[in-house]
Amino acid sequence: MEQVIRTRGLTKDYGSVLALDDLSLDIGPGITGLVGANGAGKSTLIKVLLGLVPPSSGEATVLGLDVIRDAAAIRARVGYLPEHDCLPPDVSASDFVVHLGMMSGLPRVAARERAAEVLRHVGLAEERYRPMGGYSTGMKQRAKLAQALAHDPRLVLLDEPTNGLDPAARDDMLGLVQRVGQDFGFSVLVTSHLLGELERVSDNVVILDSGRLLRASQTRDFLDATGTLLVEVIGADAQTRMGHALAAAGVPVQARGGLLALDPAPELGLDVHDLIRDTAFDLGVGLVRIQADHRRIEDVFADA
Amino acid sequence: MPEQPVPRTGASGVIHDLGYRPYDGPRNGSGTIASALFLSGFRNAFGLGRSGKSKVLPFLLLALNLLPAVIIVGAMTLFNANELPLGYARYASATQILVSIFVAAQAPVLFSRDLRHGSIALYLARPLSSAAYAVARWAALLAATLVFLLVPIVALYVGAVLAELDFSEQTEEAAKAALLAVLLALMLTGISGLIASVSVRRGFAVVATIAVLLLGNGVVTAVQGISDEQGELRVGEVAGLFSPYSLYRGGTSALTDELFLTPPTGAVMTAAYFAVMVLVGIAGLAGIVLRYRRIAGR
Ligand SMILES: Nc1ncnc2c1ncn2[C@@H]1O[C@H](COP(=O)(O)OP(=O)(O)OP(=O)(O)O)[C@@H](O)[C@H]1O
Ligand SMILES: [Mg+2]
Repeated sequence: MEQVIRTRGLTKDYGSVLALDDLSLDIGPGITGLVGANGAGKSTLIKVLLGLVPPSSGEATVLGLDVIRDAAAIRARVGYLPEHDCLPPDVSASDFVVHLGMMSGLPRVAARERAAEVLRHVGLAEERYRPMGGYSTGMKQRAKLAQALAHDPRLVLLDEPTNGLDPAARDDMLGLVQRVGQDFGFSVLVTSHLLGELERVSDNVVILDSGRLLRASQTRDFLDATGTLLVEVIGADAQTRMGHALAAAGVPVQARGGLLALDPAPELGLDVHDLIRDTAFDLGVGLVRIQADHRRIEDVFADA
Repeated sequence: MPEQPVPRTGASGVIHDLGYRPYDGPRNGSGTIASALFLSGFRNAFGLGRSGKSKVLPFLLLALNLLPAVIIVGAMTLFNANELPLGYARYASATQILVSIFVAAQAPVLFSRDLRHGSIALYLARPLSSAAYAVARWAALLAATLVFLLVPIVALYVGAVLAELDFSEQTEEAAKAALLAVLLALMLTGISGLIASVSVRRGFAVVATIAVLLLGNGVVTAVQGISDEQGELRVGEVAGLFSPYSLYRGGTSALTDELFLTPPTGAVMTAAYFAVMVLVGIAGLAGIVLRYRRIAGR
């Protein structure tokens, strides 16, 4: 598998603070969630990967390019959404994304076409000629995402794209992140301090704690191994029928509100996701979603 | 589940592909990107490509700065004058308040805005290095300042040629003024750009720049006046090294017949004037480059 991001012994020392501490990571294609508390070193890692902040020691490559020697080449093929405000209020999203597309190396005409395209994809087709100062926080985050996509990057680094969003806008943004990774085919590194929101969209999760790697695994791996899964189904009497069928298959099930909570024992040795899907199919009930029980997942890492 | 991109056939029969289309056209290198940044910065310095409101001040100042030249040209053709009432090189000294307001107000457009709004992070995450960004911004302000200084010189020159003044003499004087304008623009760009790049607030940058340029000149002029009265000319000459406009006046005295207080005398002092003008320009650019390098590493 092609490595998108690779670090070895990566350390960043800000004088008294060790922001990254001997970090060795291998991140492949797909969507990777980078989780950590405030100050864990998520933004520092992204700035090192962009070649903006030089590592104190260790090495890192992005798309096979070295972050120190090939920084300009990396920045030409990577999109970046910063965690803080970065939009001038008196400029329209359209003008801004065109300009930044050109700053990434697109010729003017191509930058115009791409700006219209990515603004449509992020859902700002109507508002794109309005000055961004009048945008809601959700629209601003989407404009920030659009500029990161303008030059058709191979990898996008999204630093807390859900920051400051209400639950509905947060879901929209996470849906967009998922589309960028799945439909657009970009590799995505997306940060958050909430593990719960990233496990929904990411294929892999990397957890940082005080600049050190706490855990890196496939999202599914650790959910299946230890977590409770919440399942929502629709259809006549769907929840009861589904609950019985799953219990019959040997998975402990409890009803929790409108959801089914599954506690599959790890030694069961079966793929619970497949089982849920197949059972729903056999019963003819609509499977709305499978999601991890957030409290439990967070606990896993609190214990680690 | 995300929607699969499905090609849809619209009423017109055209297929609208709503899925994502990758880009596989050409990509420009750093040189082209830097010149695009330069060009947009140059236009922004005059409010072009920005809101209508942003055009008012630069164009008002440009018009005011041109007005005396237009009046002079008009008067010359009317009265058949045989020389320009205000020399090419003296013009910038006479309009130094307008020049100062222009650089003080427009440098923040190029240097403070991206810092205040945080958009600098988006530039620095793109292929251009922080130094290339800084140089492109600096060059944009330098070009805008030069346009501001050269437009009236060109107007006077065209008027002088139309009034059939001595062509070779006029050309030589205008060329000297253009050279001096480059030196003045280098100093003004370095100073105003550096101040704007360290201040996130536009108001602070405007006030600080005007204070450095005009108050500095006021103090130097006062010292030069006193030293002239007291006959201590050397004191005035040395004082002249400490402000862009007095340096410009010194340079003008050295190259032309224009008369100013305590002009530099002797080859060493004259050379010092020109050297300081160039050094101020270089120091300003170096300061701006260092400033953006520090910002990139944060
Ligand atoms: N320029 C800097 N100078 C000094 N210390 C810094 C600098 N940037 C970051 N740090 C420190 O490095 C550590 C990691 O910071 P970083 O911003 O990478 O964390 P983060 O995981 O992105 O946190 P948050 O969730 O708050 O964004 C913190 O302790 C921070 O204070
Ligand atoms: Mg951060």
